Amino acid sequence: MLDTLTLVETPEGIRLRLRAAGVMPRAAAWAVDFAVRVGVIWIIGTALALLGETGTGLYLLLLFVLFWLYPVLFEVLRDGQTIGKKALSLRVINANGSPVTWMGSIVRNLLRVVDMLPFFYGFGLVAGLIDTQSRRIGDIVAGTLVVHVGNPNQHLAAPQVPVVHAPITLHADEQKSIVAFAERAQQLTVERQQELAALLPMLTESHGALAVQRLLGMANAFLGRR
Amino acid sequence: MKQENFQERHHDEWVALDLWLAQRTRPKSLQRLQDGAGLFGDLEFPSMYRRVCQHLALAERRGYSALLIERLQDLVQRGHLVLYRSPAPHWQRIVDFFAADFPRLVRSQWRVMTLAALLFFVPALGIIGLLQVRPELAHSLFAPAELAQYENMYDPASSSEKLGRESGTDLKMFGFYIFNNVSIGFRTFASGLLAGVGAIVVLLMNGLLIGGVAGHLTAIGYGEPFWRFVVGHSAPELLSIVIAGGAGLQIGMALIAPGRRTRSRALVEAGVIGGKLVLGVFAMLVFAAFVEAFWSSIVWMPNVVKYSVGGALWLAIPLWLWRGGRGQAPKHGAVINANDVGRS
Repeated sequence: MLDTLTLVETPEGIRLRLRAAGVMPRAAAWAVDFAVRVGVIWIIGTALALLGETGTGLYLLLLFVLFWLYPVLFEVLRDGQTIGKKALSLRVINANGSPVTWMGSIVRNLLRVVDMLPFFYGFGLVAGLIDTQSRRIGDIVAGTLVVHVGNPNQHLAAPQVPVVHAPITLHADEQKSIVAFAERAQQLTVERQQELAALLPMLTESHGALAVQRLLGMANAFLGRR
Repeated sequence: MKQENFQERHHDEWVALDLWLAQRTRPKSLQRLQDGAGLFGDLEFPSMYRRVCQHLALAERRGYSALLIERLQDLVQRGHLVLYRSPAPHWQRIVDFFAADFPRLVRSQWRVMTLAALLFFVPALGIIGLLQVRPELAHSLFAPAELAQYENMYDPASSSEKLGRESGTDLKMFGFYIFNNVSIGFRTFASGLLAGVGAIVVLLMNGLLIGGVAGHLTAIGYGEPFWRFVVGHSAPELLSIVIAGGAGLQIGMALIAPGRRTRSRALVEAGVIGGKLVLGVFAMLVFAAFVEAFWSSIVWMPNVVKYSVGGALWLAIPLWLWRGGRGQAPKHGAVINANDVGRS
Protein backbone atom coordinates (compact mmCIF):
# COMPACT_ATOMS: atom_id res chain seq x y z
CA MET A 1 0.00 0.00 0.00
CA LEU A 2 2.83 2.36 0.78
CA ASP A 3 4.59 1.70 -2.49
CA THR A 4 2.93 3.16 -5.57
CA LEU A 5 5.05 1.10 -7.97
CA THR A 6 2.89 -0.37 -10.72
CA LEU A 7 4.25 -3.10 -12.96
CA VAL A 8 2.88 -3.12 -16.51
CA GLU A 9 3.76 -5.94 -18.86
CA THR A 10 4.61 -4.83 -22.39
CA PRO A 11 4.37 -6.80 -25.66
CA GLU A 12 8.14 -7.35 -25.42
CA GLY A 13 7.56 -9.48 -22.34
CA ILE A 14 9.21 -7.11 -19.89
CA ARG A 15 7.61 -5.17 -17.10
CA LEU A 16 7.65 -1.40 -16.99
CA ARG A 17 7.91 0.08 -13.52
CA LEU A 18 5.60 3.04 -13.28
CA ARG A 19 5.78 5.14 -10.14
CA ALA A 20 2.36 6.70 -9.65
CA ALA A 21 2.53 10.25 -8.30
CA GLY A 22 0.72 11.01 -5.06
CA VAL A 23 -1.73 13.77 -4.24
CA MET A 24 0.84 16.32 -3.04
CA PRO A 25 3.11 16.60 -6.11
CA ARG A 26 0.03 16.63 -8.32
CA ALA A 27 -1.54 19.43 -6.31
CA ALA A 28 1.73 21.37 -6.56
CA ALA A 29 1.79 20.84 -10.34
CA TRP A 30 -1.80 22.07 -10.54
CA ALA A 31 -0.85 25.15 -8.52
CA VAL A 32 1.98 25.94 -10.96
CA ASP A 33 -0.39 25.53 -13.91
CA PHE A 34 -2.95 27.71 -12.17
CA ALA A 35 -0.38 30.44 -11.58
CA VAL A 36 0.71 30.27 -15.24
CA ARG A 37 -2.86 30.59 -16.43
CA VAL A 38 -3.67 33.45 -14.10
CA GLY A 39 -0.51 35.20 -15.29
CA VAL A 40 -1.46 34.77 -18.95
CA ILE A 41 -5.02 35.96 -18.31
CA TRP A 42 -3.74 38.96 -16.39
CA ILE A 43 -1.25 40.07 -19.05
CA ILE A 44 -3.39 39.41 -22.12
CA GLY A 45 -6.53 40.54 -20.32
CA THR A 46 -4.96 43.92 -19.58
CA ALA A 47 -4.05 44.32 -23.24
CA LEU A 48 -7.49 43.22 -24.42
CA ALA A 49 -9.21 45.61 -22.04
CA LEU A 50 -7.91 48.43 -24.25
CA LEU A 51 -9.88 47.03 -27.20
CA GLY A 52 -13.27 47.57 -25.58
CA GLU A 53 -16.16 45.27 -26.44
CA THR A 54 -14.23 43.29 -29.06
CA GLY A 55 -11.57 42.76 -26.43
CA THR A 56 -14.15 41.40 -24.00
CA GLY A 57 -15.21 38.81 -26.59
CA LEU A 58 -11.62 37.75 -27.22
CA TYR A 59 -11.03 37.71 -23.47
CA LEU A 60 -13.89 35.27 -22.94
CA LEU A 61 -12.57 33.08 -25.76
CA LEU A 62 -9.17 33.14 -24.06
CA LEU A 63 -10.73 32.12 -20.75
CA PHE A 64 -12.41 29.23 -22.50
CA VAL A 65 -9.21 28.06 -24.15
CA LEU A 66 -7.18 28.29 -20.94
CA PHE A 67 -9.83 26.60 -18.85
CA TRP A 68 -10.77 23.69 -21.10
CA LEU A 69 -8.08 23.27 -23.77
CA TYR A 70 -4.79 24.18 -22.06
CA PRO A 71 -4.34 20.86 -20.22
CA VAL A 72 -5.46 18.76 -23.19
CA LEU A 73 -3.17 20.47 -25.70
CA PHE A 74 -0.16 20.32 -23.42
CA GLU A 75 -0.71 16.73 -22.37
CA VAL A 76 -1.08 15.40 -25.91
CA LEU A 77 1.42 17.58 -27.73
CA ARG A 78 4.12 17.88 -25.05
CA ASP A 79 4.59 14.23 -24.04
CA GLY A 80 2.03 14.21 -21.26
CA GLN A 81 3.41 17.25 -19.47
CA THR A 82 1.75 20.57 -18.76
CA ILE A 83 4.05 23.32 -17.56
CA GLY A 84 3.32 22.46 -13.92
CA LYS A 85 3.81 18.74 -14.46
CA LYS A 86 7.09 19.39 -16.20
CA ALA A 87 8.24 21.54 -13.29
CA LEU A 88 7.51 18.69 -10.89
CA SER A 89 8.75 15.92 -13.22
CA LEU A 90 5.34 14.33 -13.63
CA ARG A 91 3.81 12.84 -16.76
CA VAL A 92 0.34 11.69 -17.80
CA ILE A 93 0.33 8.33 -19.55
CA ASN A 94 -2.22 5.66 -20.36
CA ALA A 95 -2.54 2.95 -17.76
CA ASN A 96 -0.72 0.57 -20.13
CA GLY A 97 2.35 2.80 -20.19
CA SER A 98 1.81 4.24 -23.67
CA PRO A 99 1.59 8.01 -24.33
CA VAL A 100 -1.75 9.55 -23.44
CA THR A 101 -4.19 9.73 -26.38
CA TRP A 102 -6.43 12.64 -27.38
CA MET A 103 -9.49 10.84 -26.07
CA GLY A 104 -7.88 9.93 -22.77
CA SER A 105 -6.70 13.47 -22.18
CA ILE A 106 -10.05 15.01 -23.15
CA VAL A 107 -11.99 12.72 -20.83
CA ARG A 108 -9.68 13.14 -17.85
CA ASN A 109 -9.74 16.91 -18.15
CA LEU A 110 -13.49 17.15 -18.73
CA LEU A 111 -14.08 15.14 -15.59
CA ARG A 112 -12.16 17.67 -13.52
CA VAL A 113 -15.66 19.10 -13.09
CA VAL A 114 -16.58 16.04 -11.02
CA ASP A 115 -13.28 15.93 -9.15
CA MET A 116 -13.73 19.57 -8.15
CA LEU A 117 -16.96 18.76 -6.31
CA PRO A 118 -18.11 19.56 -3.66
CA PHE A 119 -15.38 22.22 -3.37
CA PHE A 120 -11.67 22.51 -4.13
CA TYR A 121 -11.07 19.05 -5.64
CA GLY A 122 -12.79 17.29 -2.73
CA PHE A 123 -13.82 14.18 -4.67
CA GLY A 124 -10.49 14.06 -6.47
CA LEU A 125 -8.64 14.19 -3.16
CA VAL A 126 -10.70 11.40 -1.63
CA ALA A 127 -10.36 9.25 -4.75
CA GLY A 128 -6.61 9.91 -4.84
CA LEU A 129 -6.21 8.89 -1.21
CA ILE A 130 -8.27 5.70 -1.63
CA ASP A 131 -6.84 4.55 -4.96
CA THR A 132 -3.54 2.65 -4.76
CA GLN A 133 -2.26 4.56 -7.78
CA SER A 134 -3.54 7.95 -6.53
CA ARG A 135 -5.84 8.35 -9.51
CA ARG A 136 -8.60 10.91 -9.34
CA ILE A 137 -12.01 10.08 -10.78
CA GLY A 138 -11.13 11.55 -14.17
CA ASP A 139 -8.05 9.33 -14.38
CA ILE A 140 -10.02 6.21 -13.49
CA VAL A 141 -12.63 6.89 -16.17
CA ALA A 142 -10.11 7.93 -18.82
CA GLY A 143 -7.77 5.02 -18.03
CA THR A 144 -4.81 7.31 -17.43
CA LEU A 145 -2.13 7.55 -14.78
CA VAL A 146 0.13 10.36 -13.54
CA VAL A 147 3.65 9.04 -12.93
CA HIS A 148 6.97 10.37 -11.76
CA VAL A 149 9.56 10.82 -14.49
CA GLY A 150 13.16 9.92 -13.80
CA ASN A 151 14.87 7.94 -11.11
CA PRO A 152 14.07 8.31 -7.42
CA ASN A 153 16.99 6.52 -5.73
CA GLN A 154 20.35 7.90 -6.68
CA HIS A 155 22.39 4.74 -6.70
CA LEU A 156 26.01 5.20 -7.72
CA ALA A 157 28.36 2.69 -9.21
CA ALA A 158 29.95 0.45 -6.60
CA PRO A 159 33.40 1.81 -5.59
CA GLN A 160 36.36 0.08 -7.19
CA VAL A 161 38.23 -1.90 -4.52
CA PRO A 162 40.43 -5.02 -4.73
CA VAL A 163 38.39 -8.16 -5.21
CA VAL A 164 37.70 -10.31 -2.13
CA HIS A 165 36.35 -13.84 -2.47
CA ALA A 166 33.50 -14.79 -0.16
CA PRO A 167 34.43 -17.48 2.38
CA ILE A 168 31.06 -19.21 1.89
CA THR A 169 28.93 -19.73 -1.21
CA LEU A 170 26.17 -17.14 -1.49
CA HIS A 171 22.78 -17.40 -3.13
CA ALA A 172 21.98 -15.12 -6.08
CA ASP A 173 19.62 -13.06 -3.90
CA GLU A 174 22.26 -12.70 -1.22
CA GLN A 175 24.84 -11.63 -3.78
CA LYS A 176 22.37 -9.04 -5.04
CA SER A 177 21.96 -7.60 -1.55
CA ILE A 178 25.74 -7.24 -1.16
CA VAL A 179 25.96 -5.46 -4.54
CA ALA A 180 23.03 -3.21 -3.57
CA PHE A 181 24.90 -2.33 -0.37
CA ALA A 182 27.98 -1.40 -2.41
CA GLU A 183 25.93 0.80 -4.75
CA ARG A 184 24.29 2.57 -1.81
CA ALA A 185 27.49 2.85 0.21
CA GLN A 186 28.34 6.37 -0.89
CA GLN A 187 24.99 7.66 0.32
CA LEU A 188 25.54 6.26 3.81
CA THR A 189 27.70 7.65 6.59
CA VAL A 190 30.82 5.69 7.52
CA GLU A 191 29.23 4.72 10.85
CA ARG A 192 26.12 3.39 9.13
CA GLN A 193 28.22 1.43 6.64
CA GLN A 194 30.09 -0.20 9.53
CA GLU A 195 26.88 -0.86 11.42
CA LEU A 196 25.42 -2.68 8.40
CA ALA A 197 28.63 -4.60 7.75
CA ALA A 198 28.67 -5.70 11.40
CA LEU A 199 25.43 -7.63 10.76
CA LEU A 200 27.44 -10.18 8.76
CA PRO A 201 30.37 -11.28 10.96
CA MET A 202 30.37 -14.79 9.40
CA LEU A 203 30.89 -13.31 5.98
CA THR A 204 33.31 -10.49 6.65
CA GLU A 205 35.33 -12.26 9.37
CA SER A 206 36.44 -8.84 10.63
CA HIS A 207 35.22 -5.61 12.25
CA GLY A 208 34.77 -1.95 11.53
CA ALA A 209 36.22 -0.33 8.43
CA LEU A 210 37.88 -3.55 7.32
CA ALA A 211 34.51 -5.35 7.29
CA VAL A 212 33.10 -2.65 5.00
CA GLN A 213 36.12 -2.95 2.69
CA ARG A 214 35.69 -6.73 2.52
CA LEU A 215 31.99 -6.41 1.68
CA LEU A 216 32.78 -3.91 -1.09
CA GLY A 217 35.46 -6.29 -2.37
CA MET A 218 32.96 -9.13 -2.51
CA ALA A 219 30.52 -6.89 -4.38
CA ASN A 220 33.26 -6.25 -6.93
CA ALA A 221 33.76 -9.99 -7.25
CA PHE A 222 30.04 -10.58 -7.79
CA LEU A 223 29.95 -7.85 -10.42
CA GLY A 224 32.77 -9.68 -12.22
CA ARG A 225 35.42 -6.99 -11.86
CA ARG A 226 39.06 -8.01 -11.81
CA MET B 1 27.90 -14.06 -17.52
CA LYS B 2 29.18 -11.63 -14.93
CA GLN B 3 27.56 -8.23 -14.87
CA GLU B 4 30.75 -6.39 -15.75
CA ASN B 5 31.23 -8.37 -18.98
CA PHE B 6 27.59 -7.91 -19.87
CA GLN B 7 27.88 -4.16 -19.39
CA GLU B 8 31.07 -3.96 -21.42
CA ARG B 9 29.58 -5.94 -24.28
CA HIS B 10 26.40 -3.87 -24.64
CA HIS B 11 27.54 -0.49 -23.39
CA ASP B 12 27.76 1.05 -26.87
CA GLU B 13 24.23 0.00 -27.82
CA TRP B 14 22.79 1.56 -24.66
CA VAL B 15 24.62 4.82 -25.17
CA ALA B 16 23.44 4.93 -28.80
CA LEU B 17 19.81 4.32 -27.82
CA ASP B 18 20.06 6.89 -25.05
CA LEU B 19 21.37 9.53 -27.46
CA TRP B 20 18.82 8.60 -30.13
CA LEU B 21 15.97 8.95 -27.63
CA ALA B 22 17.34 12.27 -26.39
CA GLN B 23 17.38 13.59 -29.97
CA ARG B 24 14.03 12.09 -30.76
CA THR B 25 12.09 13.42 -27.81
CA ARG B 26 13.34 16.92 -28.36
CA PRO B 27 10.18 18.75 -29.36
CA LYS B 28 11.43 20.03 -32.73
CA SER B 29 9.43 17.99 -35.19
CA LEU B 30 11.76 18.84 -38.06
CA GLN B 31 14.63 17.09 -36.35
CA ARG B 32 12.54 13.98 -36.10
CA LEU B 33 12.37 13.57 -39.85
CA GLN B 34 16.04 12.96 -40.25
CA ASP B 35 17.63 9.90 -38.79
CA GLY B 36 19.36 10.27 -35.44
CA ALA B 37 22.61 11.86 -36.57
CA GLY B 38 25.37 9.28 -36.85
CA LEU B 39 23.70 6.78 -34.49
CA PHE B 40 21.28 4.55 -36.30
CA GLY B 41 18.32 5.09 -38.60
CA ASP B 42 14.77 5.54 -37.40
CA LEU B 43 13.84 2.28 -39.11
CA GLU B 44 16.31 0.43 -36.93
CA PHE B 45 14.84 1.81 -33.73
CA PRO B 46 12.26 -0.97 -33.13
CA SER B 47 14.86 -3.75 -33.34
CA MET B 48 17.24 -1.69 -31.21
CA TYR B 49 14.50 -1.19 -28.66
CA ARG B 50 13.66 -4.89 -28.60
CA ARG B 51 17.33 -5.75 -28.03
CA VAL B 52 17.47 -3.52 -24.99
CA CYS B 53 14.22 -5.05 -23.75
CA GLN B 54 15.93 -8.40 -24.01
CA HIS B 55 18.93 -7.07 -22.12
CA LEU B 56 16.61 -5.89 -19.37
CA ALA B 57 14.91 -9.27 -19.16
CA LEU B 58 18.31 -10.98 -18.97
CA ALA B 59 19.56 -8.55 -16.35
CA GLU B 60 16.52 -9.16 -14.17
CA ARG B 61 16.70 -12.92 -14.63
CA ARG B 62 20.38 -13.05 -13.77
CA GLY B 63 19.94 -10.80 -10.75
CA TYR B 64 22.23 -8.00 -11.89
CA SER B 65 22.50 -4.96 -9.69
CA ALA B 66 19.76 -2.41 -9.11
CA LEU B 67 21.85 0.29 -10.76
CA LEU B 68 22.04 -1.53 -14.09
CA ILE B 69 18.39 -2.57 -14.03
CA GLU B 70 17.27 0.98 -13.35
CA ARG B 71 19.36 2.28 -16.20
CA LEU B 72 17.82 -0.25 -18.59
CA GLN B 73 14.32 0.41 -17.21
CA ASP B 74 14.77 4.08 -17.94
CA LEU B 75 15.86 3.39 -21.53
CA VAL B 76 12.98 0.97 -22.08
CA GLN B 77 10.36 3.32 -20.67
CA ARG B 78 11.48 6.18 -22.87
CA GLY B 79 11.59 3.84 -25.85
CA HIS B 80 8.11 2.55 -25.05
CA LEU B 81 6.71 6.09 -25.15
CA VAL B 82 8.23 6.60 -28.61
CA LEU B 83 7.31 3.23 -30.10
CA TYR B 84 3.70 3.12 -28.90
CA ARG B 85 2.82 6.69 -29.82
CA SER B 86 -0.74 6.96 -31.12
CA PRO B 87 -0.93 8.05 -34.76
CA ALA B 88 -1.42 11.73 -35.50
CA PRO B 89 -5.06 12.58 -36.29
CA HIS B 90 -5.77 12.96 -40.00
CA TRP B 91 -8.14 15.53 -41.48
CA GLN B 92 -10.05 12.74 -43.16
CA ARG B 93 -10.73 11.15 -39.78
CA ILE B 94 -12.12 14.42 -38.45
CA VAL B 95 -14.50 14.68 -41.41
CA ASP B 96 -15.45 11.01 -40.98
CA PHE B 97 -16.11 11.58 -37.32
CA PHE B 98 -18.66 14.33 -37.85
CA ALA B 99 -20.21 12.84 -40.98
CA ALA B 100 -20.56 9.29 -39.74
CA ASP B 101 -19.02 8.24 -36.43
CA PHE B 102 -20.75 10.80 -34.25
CA PRO B 103 -24.33 10.27 -35.52
CA ARG B 104 -23.74 6.54 -35.36
CA LEU B 105 -22.53 6.83 -31.79
CA VAL B 106 -25.59 8.89 -30.82
CA ARG B 107 -27.86 6.23 -32.35
CA SER B 108 -26.01 3.43 -30.59
CA GLN B 109 -26.85 5.17 -27.31
CA TRP B 110 -30.50 5.72 -28.28
CA ARG B 111 -31.89 4.60 -24.90
CA VAL B 112 -30.12 7.27 -22.83
CA MET B 113 -30.59 9.83 -25.61
CA THR B 114 -34.36 9.26 -25.61
CA LEU B 115 -34.42 9.48 -21.84
CA ALA B 116 -32.41 12.72 -21.91
CA ALA B 117 -34.71 14.19 -24.57
CA LEU B 118 -37.77 13.32 -22.49
CA LEU B 119 -36.19 14.76 -19.33
CA PHE B 120 -35.55 18.01 -21.17
CA PHE B 121 -38.42 18.52 -23.61
CA VAL B 122 -41.34 17.25 -21.47
CA PRO B 123 -40.88 19.85 -18.70
CA ALA B 124 -39.97 22.54 -21.25
CA LEU B 125 -43.03 22.05 -23.45
CA GLY B 126 -45.21 21.31 -20.44
CA ILE B 127 -44.35 24.58 -18.73
CA ILE B 128 -44.85 26.57 -21.95
CA GLY B 129 -48.36 25.13 -22.25
CA LEU B 130 -49.12 25.56 -18.56
CA LEU B 131 -48.09 29.23 -18.54
CA GLN B 132 -50.52 29.98 -21.39
CA VAL B 133 -53.36 28.73 -19.19
CA ARG B 134 -52.13 30.01 -15.82
CA PRO B 135 -49.61 32.83 -16.49
CA GLU B 136 -49.36 33.72 -12.78
CA LEU B 137 -47.30 30.54 -12.19
CA ALA B 138 -44.29 32.33 -13.74
CA HIS B 139 -43.90 34.14 -10.44
CA SER B 140 -43.26 30.88 -8.60
CA LEU B 141 -40.52 29.96 -11.11
CA PHE B 142 -38.61 33.26 -11.29
CA ALA B 143 -37.82 36.12 -8.94
CA PRO B 144 -39.45 39.46 -9.90
CA ALA B 145 -36.06 40.95 -10.85
CA GLU B 146 -35.36 38.09 -13.27
CA LEU B 147 -38.78 38.43 -14.87
CA ALA B 148 -38.27 42.15 -15.29
CA GLN B 149 -34.91 41.52 -16.95
CA TYR B 150 -36.34 39.01 -19.44
CA GLU B 151 -39.26 41.30 -20.20
CA ASN B 152 -36.92 44.22 -20.75
CA MET B 153 -34.73 42.14 -23.11
CA TYR B 154 -37.60 41.15 -25.40
CA ASP B 155 -39.88 44.17 -25.08
CA PRO B 156 -41.31 44.74 -28.59
CA ALA B 157 -41.63 48.45 -27.79
CA SER B 158 -37.95 48.94 -27.00
CA SER B 159 -35.82 50.47 -29.69
CA SER B 160 -32.80 48.20 -29.22
CA GLU B 161 -30.92 47.60 -32.43
CA LYS B 162 -30.05 44.05 -31.48
CA LEU B 163 -32.36 41.22 -30.57
CA GLY B 164 -32.00 39.23 -27.37
CA ARG B 165 -29.48 41.38 -25.57
CA GLU B 166 -29.17 44.77 -24.00
CA SER B 167 -25.77 45.71 -25.34
CA GLY B 168 -22.56 44.24 -26.61
CA THR B 169 -21.04 43.63 -30.01
CA ASP B 170 -21.51 40.37 -31.87
CA LEU B 171 -17.95 39.28 -31.10
CA LYS B 172 -18.30 39.95 -27.39
CA MET B 173 -21.48 37.94 -27.25
CA PHE B 174 -19.84 35.14 -29.26
CA GLY B 175 -17.13 34.89 -26.62
CA PHE B 176 -19.75 34.92 -23.90
CA TYR B 177 -21.91 32.24 -25.54
CA ILE B 178 -18.91 29.97 -26.19
CA PHE B 179 -17.67 30.18 -22.63
CA ASN B 180 -21.09 29.89 -21.06
CA ASN B 181 -22.87 27.37 -23.26
CA VAL B 182 -19.95 25.04 -23.83
CA SER B 183 -19.15 25.01 -20.13
CA ILE B 184 -22.79 24.14 -19.38
CA GLY B 185 -22.64 21.34 -21.95
CA PHE B 186 -19.42 19.92 -20.52
CA ARG B 187 -20.75 20.12 -16.97
CA THR B 188 -23.97 18.38 -17.96
CA PHE B 189 -21.88 15.47 -19.22
CA ALA B 190 -19.45 15.35 -16.32
CA SER B 191 -22.11 15.59 -13.63
CA GLY B 192 -23.63 12.40 -15.05
CA LEU B 193 -20.85 10.52 -13.28
CA LEU B 194 -22.69 11.18 -10.00
CA ALA B 195 -24.80 8.08 -10.74
CA GLY B 196 -26.61 10.05 -13.43
CA VAL B 197 -28.28 12.31 -10.86
CA GLY B 198 -26.33 15.41 -11.88
CA ALA B 199 -27.26 15.07 -15.55
CA ILE B 200 -30.94 14.47 -14.66
CA VAL B 201 -31.03 17.57 -12.45
CA VAL B 202 -29.31 19.75 -15.07
CA LEU B 203 -31.63 18.53 -17.84
CA LEU B 204 -34.79 19.06 -15.77
CA MET B 205 -33.69 22.48 -14.53
CA ASN B 206 -32.73 23.69 -17.98
CA GLY B 207 -36.00 22.39 -19.40
CA LEU B 208 -37.99 24.21 -16.72
CA LEU B 209 -36.06 27.48 -17.00
CA ILE B 210 -35.95 27.68 -20.79
CA GLY B 211 -39.59 26.61 -21.05
CA GLY B 212 -40.50 29.06 -18.29
CA VAL B 213 -38.94 32.05 -20.04
CA ALA B 214 -40.46 31.08 -23.38
CA GLY B 215 -43.90 30.44 -21.87
CA HIS B 216 -43.93 33.62 -19.84
CA LEU B 217 -42.84 35.90 -22.69
CA THR B 218 -45.38 34.30 -25.03
CA ALA B 219 -48.14 34.64 -22.42
CA ILE B 220 -47.55 38.37 -21.91
CA GLY B 221 -47.40 39.04 -25.64
CA TYR B 222 -43.64 39.47 -26.02
CA GLY B 223 -43.42 36.22 -27.95
CA GLU B 224 -42.64 37.68 -31.35
CA PRO B 225 -39.17 39.18 -30.67
CA PHE B 226 -38.31 36.24 -28.42
CA TRP B 227 -39.12 33.52 -30.95
CA ARG B 228 -37.53 35.56 -33.70
CA PHE B 229 -34.32 35.60 -31.67
CA VAL B 230 -34.15 31.99 -30.51
CA VAL B 231 -35.50 30.11 -33.53
CA GLY B 232 -32.17 30.10 -35.37
CA HIS B 233 -29.88 28.67 -32.73
CA SER B 234 -32.44 26.67 -30.76
CA ALA B 235 -31.94 23.42 -32.71
CA PRO B 236 -28.16 23.01 -32.31
CA GLU B 237 -28.17 24.36 -28.77
CA LEU B 238 -31.03 22.38 -27.27
CA LEU B 239 -30.14 19.16 -29.07
CA SER B 240 -26.51 19.38 -28.00
CA ILE B 241 -27.55 19.84 -24.36
CA VAL B 242 -29.73 16.75 -24.73
CA ILE B 243 -26.83 14.75 -26.20
CA ALA B 244 -24.50 15.95 -23.45
CA GLY B 245 -27.10 14.87 -20.92
CA GLY B 246 -27.43 11.49 -22.63
CA ALA B 247 -23.64 11.08 -22.55
CA GLY B 248 -23.71 11.89 -18.84
CA LEU B 249 -26.54 9.40 -18.25
CA GLN B 250 -24.69 6.57 -19.98
CA ILE B 251 -21.63 7.17 -17.81
CA GLY B 252 -23.90 7.14 -14.75
CA MET B 253 -25.43 3.88 -16.00
CA ALA B 254 -21.98 2.34 -16.31
CA LEU B 255 -21.47 3.14 -12.64
CA ILE B 256 -24.87 1.83 -11.49
CA ALA B 257 -25.25 -1.16 -13.81
CA PRO B 258 -21.90 -2.22 -15.31
CA GLY B 259 -23.38 -5.49 -16.56
CA ARG B 260 -20.92 -8.30 -17.09
CA ARG B 261 -17.87 -6.07 -16.78
CA THR B 262 -16.04 -4.83 -13.75
CA ARG B 263 -17.18 -1.41 -12.66
CA SER B 264 -13.87 0.24 -13.54
CA ARG B 265 -13.79 -1.42 -16.99
CA ALA B 266 -17.36 -0.26 -17.65
CA LEU B 267 -16.45 3.26 -16.54
CA VAL B 268 -13.43 3.38 -18.85
CA GLU B 269 -15.51 2.26 -21.84
CA ALA B 270 -18.29 4.69 -20.99
CA GLY B 271 -15.69 7.42 -20.58
CA VAL B 272 -14.41 6.87 -24.11
CA ILE B 273 -17.93 6.92 -25.56
CA GLY B 274 -18.75 10.00 -23.48
CA GLY B 275 -15.57 11.76 -24.58
CA LYS B 276 -16.43 11.23 -28.25
CA LEU B 277 -20.01 12.40 -27.73
CA VAL B 278 -18.77 15.51 -25.96
CA LEU B 279 -16.48 16.30 -28.91
CA GLY B 280 -19.56 16.38 -31.14
CA VAL B 281 -21.47 18.39 -28.55
CA PHE B 282 -18.60 20.86 -28.47
CA ALA B 283 -18.76 21.36 -32.25
CA MET B 284 -22.54 21.75 -32.16
CA LEU B 285 -22.34 24.32 -29.36
CA VAL B 286 -19.67 26.35 -31.16
CA PHE B 287 -21.95 26.35 -34.20
CA ALA B 288 -24.91 27.37 -32.01
CA ALA B 289 -22.89 30.18 -30.41
CA PHE B 290 -21.89 31.40 -33.86
CA VAL B 291 -25.51 31.46 -35.06
CA GLU B 292 -26.69 33.08 -31.83
CA ALA B 293 -24.11 35.85 -31.92
CA PHE B 294 -24.05 36.71 -35.62
CA TRP B 295 -27.41 35.61 -37.05
CA SER B 296 -30.10 35.51 -34.37
CA SER B 297 -29.47 39.08 -33.28
CA ILE B 298 -30.12 40.67 -36.69
CA VAL B 299 -33.26 42.79 -36.34
CA TRP B 300 -34.10 43.70 -39.94
CA MET B 301 -34.29 40.10 -41.21
CA PRO B 302 -37.88 39.30 -42.25
CA ASN B 303 -39.70 36.79 -40.10
CA VAL B 304 -40.16 34.36 -42.91
CA VAL B 305 -36.38 34.03 -43.40
CA LYS B 306 -35.71 33.63 -39.68
CA TYR B 307 -38.35 30.97 -39.21
CA SER B 308 -37.36 29.13 -42.39
CA VAL B 309 -33.71 28.96 -41.31
CA GLY B 310 -34.69 27.84 -37.82
CA GLY B 311 -37.05 25.23 -39.23
CA ALA B 312 -34.44 24.02 -41.69
CA LEU B 313 -31.97 23.51 -38.83
CA TRP B 314 -34.61 21.66 -36.79
CA LEU B 315 -35.01 19.35 -39.80
CA ALA B 316 -31.35 19.07 -40.79
CA ILE B 317 -29.81 18.25 -37.41
CA PRO B 318 -32.18 15.39 -36.50
CA LEU B 319 -31.85 14.13 -40.07
CA TRP B 320 -28.05 14.20 -39.71
CA LEU B 321 -28.23 12.34 -36.42
CA TRP B 322 -30.70 9.84 -37.85
CA ARG B 323 -29.12 9.11 -41.23
CA GLY B 324 -25.46 10.11 -40.83
CA GLY B 325 -23.06 7.23 -41.39
CA ARG B 326 -25.80 4.81 -42.43
CA GLY B 327 -25.03 2.24 -45.08
CA GLN B 328 -21.24 2.54 -44.70
CA ALA B 329 -19.23 -0.15 -43.05
CA PRO B 330 -17.92 1.13 -39.71
CA LYS B 331 -14.25 1.89 -40.14
CA HIS B 332 -11.69 0.47 -37.77
CA GLY B 333 -14.03 0.07 -34.83
CA ALA B 334 -15.71 3.43 -35.02
CA VAL B 335 -17.80 3.00 -31.89
CA ILE B 336 -15.17 1.76 -29.48
CA ASN B 337 -11.62 1.73 -30.62
CA ALA B 338 -9.70 -0.75 -28.52
CA ASN B 339 -6.62 1.47 -28.63
CA ASP B 340 -8.52 4.33 -27.09
CA VAL B 341 -9.57 2.37 -24.05
CA GLY B 342 -6.13 2.86 -22.66
CA ARG B 343 -5.64 -0.58 -21.16
CA SER B 344 -4.06 -3.60 -22.67
